[in-house]
This record gives sequence, C-alpha cells and structure tokens, in this order.
Amino acid sequence: MVRFHAELTADRVSKQSGASGYVFESVGLKKEFDDGQVQALRGVDLQIAEGEFVAIIGPSGSGKTTLLQMLGALDRPSAGTLKYRSESLLNLADPAAYRAHEIGFIFQAFHLLPTFTATENVQIPMFENHQSHTARQTRAFELLKAVGLEQRVNHFPAKLSGGERQRVAIARSLANSPSVLLADEPTGNLDSETAKHVLDLLTSLQRELRMTLILVTHDLSVAKRASRAIQMKDGQVVFDGDPANLSNTLAT
Amino acid sequence: MTFFDVVTRGLKRRPIRTGLTLLGISVGIAAVVALIGLSRGLVTSWTAGMKERGTEIVVHNMRGSLTPKPFPASTRDRIAHLPGVAATCMILVDLMSIEKAELMIVSGREWDCFAWDNLKLVSGRMPKDQKERAVVLGTTAADILKKKVGDTVQIETEELAVVGIVNGGAFVENGSVILSLPVLQEISGNHDQISAIDVRVTPGTDQAGIQRLCVEMNKVIPEARAELAGEHIASSEGYRVINAMSWGTSLLAVLVGVLGVTNTMLMSVFERKQEIAILLALGWRRNRVVRMILWESAMLGFLGGIIGVFLGVIGVRLLKRAPALRGMLEPDLRMDLMLTAIAIAVFVGVLSGVYPAWRSSRVAPSLALYG
Repeated sequence: MVRFHAELTADRVSKQSGASGYVFESVGLKKEFDDGQVQALRGVDLQIAEGEFVAIIGPSGSGKTTLLQMLGALDRPSAGTLKYRSESLLNLADPAAYRAHEIGFIFQAFHLLPTFTATENVQIPMFENHQSHTARQTRAFELLKAVGLEQRVNHFPAKLSGGERQRVAIARSLANSPSVLLADEPTGNLDSETAKHVLDLLTSLQRELRMTLILVTHDLSVAKRASRAIQMKDGQVVFDGDPANLSNTLAT
Repeated sequence: MTFFDVVTRGLKRRPIRTGLTLLGISVGIAAVVALIGLSRGLVTSWTAGMKERGTEIVVHNMRGSLTPKPFPASTRDRIAHLPGVAATCMILVDLMSIEKAELMIVSGREWDCFAWDNLKLVSGRMPKDQKERAVVLGTTAADILKKKVGDTVQIETEELAVVGIVNGGAFVENGSVILSLPVLQEISGNHDQISAIDVRVTPGTDQAGIQRLCVEMNKVIPEARAELAGEHIASSEGYRVINAMSWGTSLLAVLVGVLGVTNTMLMSVFERKQEIAILLALGWRRNRVVRMILWESAMLGFLGGIIGVFLGVIGVRLLKRAPALRGMLEPDLRMDLMLTAIAIAVFVGVLSGVYPAWRSSRVAPSLALYG
C-alpha cells in the first residue's frame, strides 16, 4: 500500500472545523433546473464532520452529483443554506480560491488534459498558488511518487492505463493540499481489480492525511468502504448512517 | 511547466487548424508588407534619385493628379534669381510605354545642368549636345529594354540612338531613359513645357532656410509648387491614392485574418468547454482562462506576423520583377515596417481572441462533472 508522508501536507494551512465542528452543514438545500421543472435537490439537511469518509449513494438522477457540485461550489443552490466551516458557500467572494485551496476534485472520467504529461497535469491546479516553476515540478513529482507513479511522470494520459490515470488524477487533487476530497464515481470507469487499488489508495490517503473524503457512487460495495453512507433518492436523503446497514435499507 | 507552455500546448492540439489559421493571418500581413513596402518604396526611390542629383527643392505641379502635369518653362525665371538658390535644372519627366516595356521613366534634362553630373558612364558616351537625337540608358533600363550602345530605342514615333549606358547611383536613375530636354519636348509635343525644376540651394543653408525658400518660391509661382525633394512625392495626390489603396487592400486581407483567428479560437473554446470547466473546478480563476485564450490568440497573431513578414519580403522580391514595376521603384522594407506589421498581427490576434475569451469566461464549472 502507498504510504503518504507528512511533507505532502507540509504546506497545508491548518484548517479548523467551524464553530459547529462540521466541515459542511446544509439546511433545506434545494437545486432546481429549467425554471423549477426539474428538482435535483429537494431540501437536503446534512452535517459532515472533519476527517469523515462519506459515501453518497443513489441511482442516476437521485441528486448525488448535484450535491457534490454544491459542496464544491461548482454551482449555486436555488434555496436553503450551505456552510463550509460555518461560513456560507452561497456568498463566496472568491469561489475559485475555495476550489483551489480547500477542495480536491476526482472525476469518474479522470479528466486529465490529453496534451499534458502526468507531471504537468498534476501541476495544473498549482498555477493559482504563485509557486515557482521548480517548486511546482518538485511537488508534482512527490505526489506522483506517493501514488506509485514515479516511473510514469513524463507519460501522456493516452499512454497510461485507466488505474494509472485515476492515480494521476488523485495526485492532482492533492496538489494544493486541500482538506476535503470530492470524488465523483472515482472507480466508475475501472475494472474491479483496479477499482479496488484506487479505493485502497483513497482510503489510506483519507486516513493518513486526515482528510475529509466525500465519494459519490452507485456501487454498494464501494459505499461500504466508507465510515458513513448517505443514500439519496429523488433529490432527498433517505438514509444517513452506518454503511453496514445500507444493504437492508436499499433492499427495502 | 510554465503558463507559456499551457498556452503553446493549446495551439499544438490541432496542428492543421493552427497551421491554416497561421497561413490566413500571414497572407494578410504579407499583403501589408508587400503593398506598403512598394508604396513607400515609391517615395524612397524617388527621394534617393533626387539626392543623387543633389536636388534639395523640387518645383512641380503634381497636386490633384496621378502624374506630374507640365507647366511653362518660364516659371524657372521667377525663382532662379531668388536669394539662396544656387542652381536650377529644368526637367520633363513622363512615364511611357517604350517598345516592349509597359512603363518606363523618360527623363528629359536641361542641357549642361547639374542633373547630368551624377550619371557615370558605364559604356559609350553622353549626347554631344542638346540637339543630338540620342539617349543614355540607366543600367536597369538597358537591361529591361535589352539595349546596348549602338542600338536604337523608339520613343513615341521617333527612333533615337542609344549612345551610352549610365549608372545614376540610385534605383530610379538607373531605371530611366535620359535625354536632353529640348529633344523630349519636341518628341512629346510639350514645347516650352517642363514637369519639374530641380533646385540646389546655397551651400550651408539649413533645413529651416530651405523651408523658407520654398515659401518664397510658392509666392511667385502660383502655377506650380516648391517642396523639399521627396516630400513632393509623399504629398502628391497620386501617392496618397496609391498609399490609401495599399492600406485598404492590406486591411481587407488582415480582416480576413481576423475572421480566421476568431473562428479558430471560437472553435477551440467550444471544443474545450469541458476542459475549461475542469480548469475552473481545479481552482483556476476565470481571468486566467481568459488570459490563456487571449495569449493563444496573440501568439497566433505573432507567429502569423513573423511568417507574414517573411512571405511579404518574398512577395515583394517577385513583384518588383513585374514588367509594370521593374526599374521604377525599389521596395522600402525597413525594419520599422516589419515591426509595424508584426505589431498589427499581434493586435489582430488579441482582437480576434476577445470574443472567444469572453465565451470561455462564461463556461460553467459544473460542466466538469459531466461526461
């Protein structure tokens, strides 16, 4: 298993949970599209604590990806409140800074830029940090080494396997030492063996770096790796608790 | 990896499209270089010719026409005695079709005046006197007409002997057919008419003094105009028309380049919508994305400018061999024209990138989670 070293988080600013002790808090969170004809979120109430590994599970159209968009400030809710460390995400003065420094995104389709090598892809988020060229290179190499890709740093995405691409994407998500990782179906495009390795990587990352990991999936076995599961259906939370109890809930 | 690498990588992803866009913009810039170079060459070539003849002031009648209009030779009598005038030389110059050459400069010069002094014989001799029905050819003119000493050359209906080949020290001088003024006046039917008076001023006269002399001359010659040598070309109606047409044609070509770059950048933004959304999701600010698109666009302009200047120089070299231009002017391809052309190309690049960049700034970052 890949071990993460303390230096990977050396430049991470000490980020404290808000006064309430939660990283995220939402009350009555709603999101509508097409002038209210589509209600993706219908009043979601939830709290996520520092260092939690939360799986959001549900079928297609249940609102789990929309919820991830709200948490990552990629979109604005239609109604309700959403706070990050007790500060409202609705009136962020600089959403880009929030996404750059607080959040690391991992996508189902990896979303590596095809014309950039692995190490260059990892450096992409670092441009907003005003680091020197050398500092960016050094950190990218450290991150790729941490995910076991030190031999593949100069490979373009097309020359990497699916699992390797997702590991590059994971390294990229850590570029600016975020405190929260948002992963959208990170194993959705991988075979079961590779998916297991990627999940092992994410799990060890979350534990050793004490990060908050919020993972969207429709795969029950993936959700069961989390410490907490939130099940969504038709834009609402229908289960929030121990993933061990998830199968019964899904069955009923 | 630097931000510059990010920008160049964007252009490399579609090499054929980038190449075609570069070609489009470079053709526009080549047109600027070629046409403006030729049009400016008209002034510099004629100015160089004047300088070789030692002319400081030219009295002419070019206003409102494309070619100099003849005026009475008696005009000279009113300026020759003015203080500050050292010498004068009457000239009748015209552009004529001579034998197989479409346009040649034919210059009839007052006998024994200073306008003959710069002509150095390469072969043959000078006309014996002002009555001899003979010409000397500038080296380029001899080459164009394929004539040598002993041949004859037909001007209008008259056959004149080629008695000498001369080097006039300037492009226009070498491209001319030169003969005595009375002979050309007779052949062309311009009795007692001239089209220019070359004036030399008293040695030591400064530029302000020469300007004052022009003012004094213009008071006594309403039928013509005295101007500094070279300026008479630049301020002529003909040159202005040529210059305006050159710029007009060039700008049309550049406009085509603008549309090409805009189209390319817009396609690029549409194609990379999700990629832009990913960059935004990864924390890039919108203004960085806008800068990336503008830099890509500016770089297209810059590269197009460099290639365009290169193509323009080659184009000019070919154009000046055209029968209508050969021997008439030397293109003026100074560094400032090249730099101006490249600056225009960069401006065009940035301008073309504004709308695509604005479109890129409107991409929703939530798009990153789809596909």
